[in-house]
Amino acid sequence: MRKDRIVVLVTTMLLLATGLFAGGSKEAAPAASTAPTSTAVGPTNSNPLSDLRVRQAMAYAIDMKTACATLLQGMALPADSDIPNGPWKTPDLSKYEYNPEKAKALLKEAKWDSNRVLDLIYYYADQETVDLMTAIQQWFAAVGIKMKFRQITGDLAAQLNALPADAEKGPSGITWDLAYGAKAALALQEYYNAYARSVDGKPQIAHTPANATMDSLIAATNSTSDIAKQKEAFFALEKYMASNVKDIPLYYQQLFIYENKRLNRNGGLYGNDQYNYDWGILNWTVTADANGKQILYTNTGPKQFFFEPWSDPAIHITRKVLWDRLITCDGSLTPTTGKLASSYKLSADGMNLTFTLRDGLKWHDGSPLTVDDVKWSVETALKFPTLNAVFKKTFNSLKGAKDYLEGKTPGVAGITASGNTITFDFASLDPNCLLTFTQWAPLPKKYLAKADPLKFQQDPFWQNPVGSGPYRIDKVSMNDYLVMVPYKDYWGGVAKIDQIVCYPSDDNDANVVKNAAAQKLDYGFTKNVGDVKSLQAMSHMNVKAVDIPYTRILWVNQFPKPAAK
Amino acid sequence: MFAYMVRRLLILIPLLFVICFLVYLGMFLTPGDPVSYMIGPEAMQNLKPAELEALKEALGLNQPFIIRFLLWLGGVMKGDFGYSLQSGVPIKNIVLARLPATLELSGVALLLSTVFGSLLGTVSALKRGSIGDNALTVAGMIGVSIPQFVFGLAAIVVFTLKLHWLPVGGRIEPDDVTFWDRFPNLVMPSLVLAATMVAGVMRYSRSSMLDSMNREFIKTARSKGLPEWRVNFVHGFRVALLPVIVLIGFRLPMLLGGSVIVEQVFQWPGIGNEFVAAVRSYNYPLIMMIAFFSVFAVLIASFLIDLLTAWLDPRVKFE
Repeated sequence: MRKDRIVVLVTTMLLLATGLFAGGSKEAAPAASTAPTSTAVGPTNSNPLSDLRVRQAMAYAIDMKTACATLLQGMALPADSDIPNGPWKTPDLSKYEYNPEKAKALLKEAKWDSNRVLDLIYYYADQETVDLMTAIQQWFAAVGIKMKFRQITGDLAAQLNALPADAEKGPSGITWDLAYGAKAALALQEYYNAYARSVDGKPQIAHTPANATMDSLIAATNSTSDIAKQKEAFFALEKYMASNVKDIPLYYQQLFIYENKRLNRNGGLYGNDQYNYDWGILNWTVTADANGKQILYTNTGPKQFFFEPWSDPAIHITRKVLWDRLITCDGSLTPTTGKLASSYKLSADGMNLTFTLRDGLKWHDGSPLTVDDVKWSVETALKFPTLNAVFKKTFNSLKGAKDYLEGKTPGVAGITASGNTITFDFASLDPNCLLTFTQWAPLPKKYLAKADPLKFQQDPFWQNPVGSGPYRIDKVSMNDYLVMVPYKDYWGGVAKIDQIVCYPSDDNDANVVKNAAAQKLDYGFTKNVGDVKSLQAMSHMNVKAVDIPYTRILWVNQFPKPAAK
Repeated sequence: MFAYMVRRLLILIPLLFVICFLVYLGMFLTPGDPVSYMIGPEAMQNLKPAELEALKEALGLNQPFIIRFLLWLGGVMKGDFGYSLQSGVPIKNIVLARLPATLELSGVALLLSTVFGSLLGTVSALKRGSIGDNALTVAGMIGVSIPQFVFGLAAIVVFTLKLHWLPVGGRIEPDDVTFWDRFPNLVMPSLVLAATMVAGVMRYSRSSMLDSMNREFIKTARSKGLPEWRVNFVHGFRVALLPVIVLIGFRLPMLLGGSVIVEQVFQWPGIGNEFVAAVRSYNYPLIMMIAFFSVFAVLIASFLIDLLTAWLDPRVKFE
C-alpha cells in the first residue's frame, strides 16, 4: 500500500475516532432552537435522495468541524449555508452539527436501503479533495450509507450540468448521486438563482427539482434594490434551503493575501482581492532599491496573452490595474463612489442608472475615453459568451437587449449616450447593476470594434492592450516579465510605486513559495493551504486571511433517474 | 551509401506522419477539451448549452476528428501550423519565441555534460580501482539516481536562498540587455540539467573506455612504443566514443523538445514549459507542432547516429 494512502487511512480513522467520540457528547446534540424538525416527508419521486430525511441524515453524518481542523489545517470554516458568514446570513438557520446517531435514526425512518451505493463525483485533481472524499465515505459508512467517489474529466459541462427534461419531475439528465464542487459568487444571488425555473419554465439546474415556493423565494431576492428588503428575502431563502437540505454546504474557503513586509498599503483597504475594490493602490509604497526605485514584484503576468477583464474581472493583477471601472466599492464589494464616472444615480425603482464620466478621461495611448466606448463595450459584452454571470444578468436586463442580440436592432435601445452622460434603462430590475459597474471595465472601441465576440480573447489586441487604469504597460516579454508603470494622466493622480514587475503565472501560481522566499514576490493571494503554511513561516512575509464568498458544497441529485433502456 | 541515405530519409516521412496521427488520436481520446479548460467548471455552470456550442464552433472543435487531423496536416504541408486556441497567436510565433530559451538551456547542458562526462569517464577508466575512480562512480550513481526536481530545488535553497548568488528562476529580467546580463539566470538550470546528464555520459564512456583498453589494437599501439597519452586518447578514446555518441545522439531531440522538469523548477520559458501548459489546456495546435518537431528531431537523430556510427567504426557497413 502506498505511503500516502496509509496516511489518508490513518487520518480518516483518527477523524472517525474523534468524531464518533464527539458524537456521543453533549456538543453533538443540535441546539434546540436551531435543530431542524424531522418532518415525516417521504420521497417525492422514485429517487430515495428526494427524501428530506435522507439528505438530513447525510448532513448530520459529516463532521466538517473536525475536517476543517485537521484535513484543511484550520484554514477553512465549516459552512452551514451556501451564503458566507456575515451580515447576509440569517442567524436562525437549521444546523446540522455532526450527529451520527441522529443520522442513523433518520435513515431508519426513511427505510434507507443500506445496499445502495451512491456515486459521488468531483472535478478537482488535488490530494486534499481525495482525502476529504475518503473521510466523507467513511462517515457515511459509519451511519449505513455506502458511497464510491470518482474524479470526472473531459466534458465537465455535460457530466455535471446536463439538465433534466422537466424542472420539477425530471428525469435526471445526469448519472451521479452526489457532486462535490464549489460555488464562488460575485453577487449573492448567484448562489441560488439557478435553483429557480427560467422565465419560460425551463430547468436551470441539474440536480434539484424546482418548486413554486423556491421560485418565489428566489425571485424575491432579485426583485428589489433596497438592501433591507433584499436581506430579508435572503434570510427567508436561506432558511428554506437549509431546512430542506437542498444542498449540503461543507466549508467556506478563505482567501489568503500575502505581502512582503517591505510593502505598505498606507491605510489602503483589505478585501476580497479576487475582485476589484477601493484598495488604494495609488498610495501603496515599497522600500526603494539601491537606485531609489520603488519596484513591486508580483505574479500573474502574461504567458502568451493578456486576459480580457470581462469573464473574470480581477483574478490577475493586469485585469485589476490596467483598466478602470465606472465606480468602485469597499472590501465587501458594496458600491461606494465613482471612478471613471464622477457621479452616478440609480433611480428609486432601480430601473434607470445614469453615469456622468469625468472630463478629460484618456486611454493609455492618449486618445479620449468617451461614453461611446462605454456603450460599445456593453453591446459587445452582451455577445461575449463567457461574460461574467453578474454582468450578463445586468446587461441582459437592459431594454432592447434581446432585440439587439437577435439582430433586430443595431444597438441596445436601453442605452443612451450623450456628452459625458450615459444612461441605462432596464426592462427588468437587476439588484446588482451597481455591483456590475464596480467590476466590469469598458474597453477601447477603436482597437476592438472588429473583434469577433466569440473569439474575443484571440484578438491581437490582447498581446499589448491599451487600458485606462492607474498603471499602463511599459514593456512586456511574454512568459518572461511584464513591467507596468504609473499612468501619468490617470484621473486620480500618479501612483507612488515606480514599477510593478509581474512574473508569468496562472492565478494558481505553482512558484509562490520559491519566489516569495527569494524576495521576488511582494504581493499576491492564494487559496492553497500548503503555500499559506510556508508563507506564514517566512519572517519577511505577512499573510492575511480574508472571508470570501466561496463555498464548497455537496450537491445532491434529487431527480428520478431515467428508466433503464 | 547515397542510395541508403535517400532510402532512409524517405522512410522517415511516412513514419513522421504516422506518429503524428497517433499523437493526434491520443489527444482526441484524452478526456477534456480546450473550452472546458478556458472556462472552468464553476463558470461553466452559467453557460447555456447553445453558447457553449457556439464557442466550440468558433474554435473549430465541433468537426469530426479525422477532418480536424486532415485540416491540420494540410496546414502543415503549407507551412501553417495554426493558431493557439487560447490566444489566437500563430503557433509558429509561439514556438519561435520559446525555441531560443530551450536551445540555450539544452545546448549548454548538452555541451557541458558531453565534455565533462567523456573526460571524467575516461579518467575514471584509466585510473580504474583508484579512490578517484570510486569517487566518480559514486558521484555518477548519485547523479543518475537523484531526480532533477530534487536537485533543482536543493540548488535553489543553497545558491539562491542561502548564498544569494544566483536568481531563483526565469530567463530574462526587465533590465537585461546582453547575454551576459542574463547569464546568472542560465547558470543554475544549465548546471543542474548538465549534472543529471553528465552521470550517464560518464558511466557510458568509462565502461566503453575499459572495453577498448583491453582490445588487441591498444596492445599493438603500446608495443609499437607510442606514448601512453597517444595510446589512450587517440586510439582508445576514439573507439570508446562510439556508444557515447549514440547516447548523445539520442539526447539531441531534447534541444528542440526542452527539459520539462528543469524548465518547470526554474521557471524557464522554454518549449518544455510551453508543452506542459499546452497539454494542460488542450491546446491541440500547439501540442501538435511541438510533437511534430520532437518526433522529427528523434527520427533525424537516429538517422545521424547511424551515419556517425558507420563513420567512426569501420566494421559497420551501410546496407
